[in-house]
Amino acid sequence: MSDISRLKNSRPALAEKSVTSRRLWFLVAAITIALLPLILPSSYWRTNLIVCAINVLLAIGLDFVLGYAGQLNIGQSAFYGIGAYTSTLLIMKLALPFWVAFALGVLVAGTAGALLSLFAVRLRGHYLAIASLGFAVITYQILLNWISLTQGPLGIYAIAPPPPIALPWLPRIVFTNLANLFYLTAGFALLVYFILDQWVRSPIGEALTAIREDELSAESLGIDVPKWKALAFAVSSAVAGAAGCFYASFVGTLVPDAFVITESFSILAMVIVGGMGTLIGPVFGAVLLTILPELLRGLGDLRLIVYGASVTLVVLFMPGGLAQAVHVIARRTFLAGAKIEIHS
Amino acid sequence: MIAAAATDLARENAGAVLFCAKGLCKNFGGVRAVRDVSFDIAPGIVFAVIGPNGAGKSTLLNLMSGIYQPDAGMMSLRGRDLVGMSAQHRVRHGLARTFQKIRLFKQLSALENVIAGYHTRHAIPAWQYVFHGAAFHDDARRCRDEAHELLDFIGLKHRAHIIAGSLAYGEQRLLEIARALATAPRLLMIDEPAAGLNPAEVAALLRRIASMRERGVTVLMVEHNMDLVMSVADRILVMDYGQQLFVGAPTEVQAHPDVITAYLGTNVL
Repeated sequence: MSDISRLKNSRPALAEKSVTSRRLWFLVAAITIALLPLILPSSYWRTNLIVCAINVLLAIGLDFVLGYAGQLNIGQSAFYGIGAYTSTLLIMKLALPFWVAFALGVLVAGTAGALLSLFAVRLRGHYLAIASLGFAVITYQILLNWISLTQGPLGIYAIAPPPPIALPWLPRIVFTNLANLFYLTAGFALLVYFILDQWVRSPIGEALTAIREDELSAESLGIDVPKWKALAFAVSSAVAGAAGCFYASFVGTLVPDAFVITESFSILAMVIVGGMGTLIGPVFGAVLLTILPELLRGLGDLRLIVYGASVTLVVLFMPGGLAQAVHVIARRTFLAGAKIEIHS
Repeated sequence: MIAAAATDLARENAGAVLFCAKGLCKNFGGVRAVRDVSFDIAPGIVFAVIGPNGAGKSTLLNLMSGIYQPDAGMMSLRGRDLVGMSAQHRVRHGLARTFQKIRLFKQLSALENVIAGYHTRHAIPAWQYVFHGAAFHDDARRCRDEAHELLDFIGLKHRAHIIAGSLAYGEQRLLEIARALATAPRLLMIDEPAAGLNPAEVAALLRRIASMRERGVTVLMVEHNMDLVMSVADRILVMDYGQQLFVGAPTEVQAHPDVITAYLGTNVL
């Protein structure tokens, strides 16, 4: 605990971290994405990789509104579903091209998020959580019961993967290939990560954090609280919408049960386990909580207990999540190194 | 930024009214928290509002900063009508405040708290929010340098990277003032700055307020500490039961019979 408190009491300013080292990390991430499907060639693992990429999108999207703006939004599963159903229905009913439907799906999900933020102007903390939970329940019920549009519990089948991309001088990139589909979703997730990372290191991040810490104070400094909340909600739900579009075209089947409220809690767990208020934490949280149940498959029914216990342990002993744990370990190593220098 | 405020100040001195309130009223149900309060604040002075507990001082400050809207009356800052304007817009017109109960961003460092106060004054082209370019980095540097300068001014230079929540109580009060100063206010409203400070800290606070005035920031101060008010204020507004008893210079206030009655009670004999 003492290490944690020492960490909390003093830290270098964000702006002082070097730009070059961040560029280096993006390069490392891009190389990792490129190599992963080659290291894990089985279609089982490639499928898991795609699910990881989709969950990473969902988690960093939620973290933007939860970890930075401090708005307890439990409606993420609804925006995920809105994105998936909007894009799929536009392709099926109106025969729109995939990327147009994708853009509209993102737009509709983002708009729904901005509308939900109208409640966030009046409601705080648990009350907002309940309102957003209600929104998720309503959305699920609409997906389930508007049978003429969504085919309800029967679901929508035979959704095509994204159309092939033809680039000059290169072979056509087809997305029936799982590795290519992974590159597409993971590449998109990396792009979203880059944009959000730039934003949280700008005055946008300062305004959102100020709102998280104290709304009245933020207002007293000239920060337009409703506007920034709307932006945080819109961005967060638009990202979830994009994840939904990828999900539909990857799975090929849509049923309302993919967007039940428990999905919101899974995404929430990824953000909390990874570390709220950092962008890198939720990335690892999403990967861990996607892969862990798969690794524990050998344990049979016991795996859910192990899964639940590990999430509980993280919340109990690492309130700052994985991001904090890494930080503490790095600091401890650094401190140990400093001591040795003094003695020698 | 303070130098710019000082040159503006010279211009404003001709008109000699920075803030003007006329007939301000605010009721909470049957409680008339503020009734018919009128006063002018000249630029470059320290204006104190005093009165017993429940006199309506904090309500008046909340009316001025836009947390409440008045039920009747008018207010203007540099001739601009403030009634109906939201709190966050008033900041853009040069009104800043601190809170009686400290409301810092507790998880952020002292420096980050001050930088947050810079919010209305960023000059970054929209696309540079995604691709941080020269203008972005210039803005960030300017803002960080100015925040360091403000921390230096308020006496917290060595505490810049400490998390606000773990600063000493007196330091937190000073940090809130620095954060408000970062908005480049014409009129800075400080709510009970000396509450909970020891005598040494109060003395330091006095020096800061005096130097703020020298640097061209007009200060409105709500305060209980009589010694502080008498030594630093140029004009004093005395309130009791939501009404204004008296506006005048410190020496006049001390001699005024109504003020003595409100503070010390009447002779029952």
